[in-house]
Amino acid sequence: MKVLDPTAERAPATRERAARPASLEGRTIALLDISKARGNVFLDRMEELLRARGLAVERYAKPTFTKPAPIDLRHEISTKCDLVIEALAD
Amino acid sequence: MTEASLSPLEPRGLLPDGLVAVVKADCPTCALVRPVLEGLGAHLVSEDDDAGLERSYHLGVDTVPTLLRVDGGVEQARTVGWSREQWEALTGVAGLGGDLPPSRPGCGSRTQDPGIADELVARFEGARLQSRRVELSAYEDDAEAMFERGWTDGLPVVPPTEARVLRMLAGTTRAPDELVTVVPPDLVACTVEKVAINAVMAGCKPEFLPVVLAALEAACTDEFNAHGVLATTMPVGPQLIVNGPIRRAIGMNSGVNVLGQGNRANSTIGRALQLTIRNVGGGRPGGVDRATQGNPGKVGLCFAEDEEGSPFEPLHVSRGFAPDASTVTLFAGEGPRGVVDQLSREPESLAGSLAGCLRAVQHPKLARRYDAVIVLGPEHGHVFRDAGWDRARLLAALEERLQLPRDEMLQGAGGIAEGMPPDRMGDVTAKFRPGGIIVVHAGGGAGLFSTIIAGWANGTTGSHPVTREITP
Amino acid sequence: MHDIVDLEGRGIPGVFVASREFVEAAATQAAALGFPDVARVFVDHPIQDRTDEEIEALADNAVDAVLDALRAD
Repeated sequence: MKVLDPTAERAPATRERAARPASLEGRTIALLDISKARGNVFLDRMEELLRARGLAVERYAKPTFTKPAPIDLRHEISTKCDLVIEALAD
Repeated sequence: MTEASLSPLEPRGLLPDGLVAVVKADCPTCALVRPVLEGLGAHLVSEDDDAGLERSYHLGVDTVPTLLRVDGGVEQARTVGWSREQWEALTGVAGLGGDLPPSRPGCGSRTQDPGIADELVARFEGARLQSRRVELSAYEDDAEAMFERGWTDGLPVVPPTEARVLRMLAGTTRAPDELVTVVPPDLVACTVEKVAINAVMAGCKPEFLPVVLAALEAACTDEFNAHGVLATTMPVGPQLIVNGPIRRAIGMNSGVNVLGQGNRANSTIGRALQLTIRNVGGGRPGGVDRATQGNPGKVGLCFAEDEEGSPFEPLHVSRGFAPDASTVTLFAGEGPRGVVDQLSREPESLAGSLAGCLRAVQHPKLARRYDAVIVLGPEHGHVFRDAGWDRARLLAALEERLQLPRDEMLQGAGGIAEGMPPDRMGDVTAKFRPGGIIVVHAGGGAGLFSTIIAGWANGTTGSHPVTREITP
Repeated sequence: MHDIVDLEGRGIPGVFVASREFVEAAATQAAALGFPDVARVFVDHPIQDRTDEEIEALADNAVDAVLDALRAD
């Protein structure tokens, strides 16, 4: 469906990325497993690599890859972490 | 059959002189008359190609085949379907379609196909609209998409498709690209088209649009001071009072539950103004709108005066407009508060009740800085009518009863820190500035109640009520 | 991808990692969500029948791109 923009059109019509930090130092990264098979291997390694770089990591997993993450999980990530990596879709 | 008779015509150009036939492939009658058309050398317009469909749309064809006779580039006559008699009369050629039946009805034009009509309006008229198009994907729920883009006031809005906006624009004679006013706080030049988009979202009908346009113009005057009204921490929002013939024409409510929900015009016109200021002007709660508590009317508050039953002349007449003019009066108001008086039969007594309730506007110990609206209920109106009081008499009676003494009003008086500064108080002060009370008559016929709406600050940095004529 | 879009909306920069099979589907879904620029990194397909070492190698090769997607340019 096409609609007409009701605004003054000073902002882009599409969503833009949230502001990124200049440096990841001191930040906590959420690793969110979408729970497809073998994804945990990828994320385990990703966790190792991030810790080796001195980054704090929190691990999370969705109950199923077929739906968006439950709202409680999203809320927890947003309150405890600064950044998120979601993997591994295949 | 020549190539020329098959080539598509420029959709909006002059028609070629002679005979023009609008046809479509999926029509047995069109197939039937094809040899006749070939014999006549008619130009064929096929609805199966885009140019032909557009031409058919502009010709207002609703049945195919339609045969037109053209002279000087202009249609002289047309006939629909197949009828030997009518075709011979139109073309001036005898003996047409020898082996055909005398007549056969046509089929519906493709311009009438369900779902196509709106699409065609958008496709062919949409070029008149200049706003950015935003594509909602098939995966997005259209109602959710409006919320997610931040275009709503917390309630659902009607998605502003091109077809809906074009229909809305038909409610005014003003051109879509005409500038209405500059809208605060972002000081954006707002066109009729942008107002129409927000009016669609609010749920307005096209005939409401002129009221919304006049209201926006009134709101954005220096006098009304929309920026101040928006940015204040006080709870006010723009409120609209409509007068004149347009009230009936668009089905507004001036009676039972006049300030409440249920009437589409009342509910959506004020909302369209709010959405326009929000979406075009950029004025949002938490942004420029810093109201500490606000009031429910800020989603939109618009009502019509009951002029016919009023003891007084209509509000707009009292403000200098002709009785048969349609107007909207903007007032920066808070949440309405009820006045109960079920015992007063004399006007002096009822005036005393109103004055007592008016005393508390903003604060009992504050004066002059704030205006107020009295929405006089009809049963209260009878008291003044039966006594033969006019508007001026009522206002004078209120003023007399609202001369407030220094020792009650001063800051600190009564153990209350709030109040009037000593250097701004004589022995008495009038509660309201001259002209600070607006009286409007509205409500259901049963119930000895009126309503007071307290206003925002007046004065040079405040807001003053503004009345604007509504034009088509 | 919905999760990343939701979390971005809450101010949490995010990136999702998918196999290359997903390049087109990701673009379509991003557009559908009104977020064509959502951050994504692709790794070689397939995933399912790889050894642990092979999958770890995918992570080794992807980590720089992933972290770049979370940092300001």
